Amino acid sequence: MRVMQTSRMLAVYFWAMVVYLIFPIIIVLPVSFSDSELLRFPPTAFSMRWYQSYFNDPVWVDATLISFRVAVVSMVISTTAGTLAALAINAVPKHLAGPLTYGATLPIVIPHIFIALGVFILAIRTGLTDNELMLALAHAAVAMPFVVLITSAAIRQIDPTIARAARVLGAGPLRAFRVATLPPLIPAIAAAAIFAFFVSFDELIIAQFLMKGSETLPMRIWADLRLDFNPTVAAVSTLLIVVTTLAMGVAETLRRRAARTLAP
Amino acid sequence: MKRLSLIWLLLPAALLLAAFIVMPTFDLIRASIFDPEFTLKHFQRLVERGVYVDVMWRTVRVSLIVAVICTIVGYPVAMFINLQPKKRQVALLFLILIPMWMSVLIRTFAWIVVLGREGLINDLMIGLGLADGPVQMLYTSGTVITAMVQIMLPIQIITCYSAMTEIDLDLMRAARVLGARRWQALTRVYLPLSYDGTLTGLVIVFMMSMGFFITPALLGGRQDMMIANLIEFQVQHLNWSFAAAIGIVLLVLTVAMILLLRWTGRFAFRRLLNVGR
Repeated sequence: MRVMQTSRMLAVYFWAMVVYLIFPIIIVLPVSFSDSELLRFPPTAFSMRWYQSYFNDPVWVDATLISFRVAVVSMVISTTAGTLAALAINAVPKHLAGPLTYGATLPIVIPHIFIALGVFILAIRTGLTDNELMLALAHAAVAMPFVVLITSAAIRQIDPTIARAARVLGAGPLRAFRVATLPPLIPAIAAAAIFAFFVSFDELIIAQFLMKGSETLPMRIWADLRLDFNPTVAAVSTLLIVVTTLAMGVAETLRRRAARTLAP
Repeated sequence: MKRLSLIWLLLPAALLLAAFIVMPTFDLIRASIFDPEFTLKHFQRLVERGVYVDVMWRTVRVSLIVAVICTIVGYPVAMFINLQPKKRQVALLFLILIPMWMSVLIRTFAWIVVLGREGLINDLMIGLGLADGPVQMLYTSGTVITAMVQIMLPIQIITCYSAMTEIDLDLMRAARVLGARRWQALTRVYLPLSYDGTLTGLVIVFMMSMGFFITPALLGGRQDMMIANLIEFQVQHLNWSFAAAIGIVLLVLTVAMILLLRWTGRFAFRRLLNVGR
């Protein structure tokens, strides 16, 4: 239902802003298929050489694999810890829920560089620099607030009487959780997991401070951009743009579906 | 029994935050004031050297500029989405959410492609005869701000939009029926009701801009160095204690500015309402 007519000028403005937001990202795609050594636009001839140079270079492939491993571990940890915390936050009395949410989402307000510095000093003290699990845990701490926010929103919309009914019908607390509370939360948890994966997969600064011997993908991209701009980065970026767009499309759809099916 | 199980549920999250956020923060505070005896020399060095003071002011100034631009530019975008039919809103939000979740590294790289020597803009300008040779656009402050606004804008739009969805649009209709012009309905009804969300967006963008690292490093020159870049530089030169001191200052500066912005925002809001009367 259209309540207020929006003027044509506002519509033009809106689309201009969408172009500003999306256009620079789209420009990367054709450049990655260029056959030139330079980041030239428009590209002079079509070639796949920069994709070959990405897939055939063990440095790039290893960096991708490390990032993937770290992101998966981080995703599992942050999604589990965040979902459990969200369940607890929504079960405690109102006056406790506020401070708990505030505490659980604390890392959002702290600059990554600050967290990176702190984790770096922690790693030096414990001798755990260059440790993938350490990096995954640090990423999990950074990603967890998003998980708490997304799953909390879904939990608030669940009808608690269903779980109570399961208990009345003789299910234990764990079974009631498994059959009544958990299933409607799955889409939201999956969406949160996807977001958490990318928080870790894209993170640069903490990795930069913590890892010395091995490189994550953002570290590899960073090193390449600092030295010289070559289109291999454009090829990697194109792959990441496509993957991120697809994954975020799925995550947002899941989140909306969660909101829709849970709405009373 | 019930309370006990709740504590178990909170335990993993609490451990994670304690180990990787809270404890490291105390470590940083300690590292900044003990070297190895108690000393304030790192903070002294920070405020005594003009270069460092410059970096701190620049960080606050750039973050403020980015936050204000995002607020002004983002508000009409959020309003446009909110005034569309519900189904359409979801589709339009997607256009904002996709860039929001894209890696900052890649979005910054995209600007290099657009603004570089061989980039799109230079190519266009030379092609159209507007420039004789490539114009230097990378490594300038204007480019850093243009890119930072582009990177932060989705966050402002989404924050603003979620606040606007709470507005009962019937109030706008009522204002119009009662004779208010469209502009009046906007400034007297819509704007005050979305003010809080807009201010929250401004504060969030400011806060995130304060910690910016990638964009100033890749798109800016030496004159665009921000606090995060200074911290990285000091870490590379193994001055951990000094880096820790800068980190503490960054955090304190951010929190102080957030409080100031909220307070100024509330004050301005009251003035705004009084002027309307």
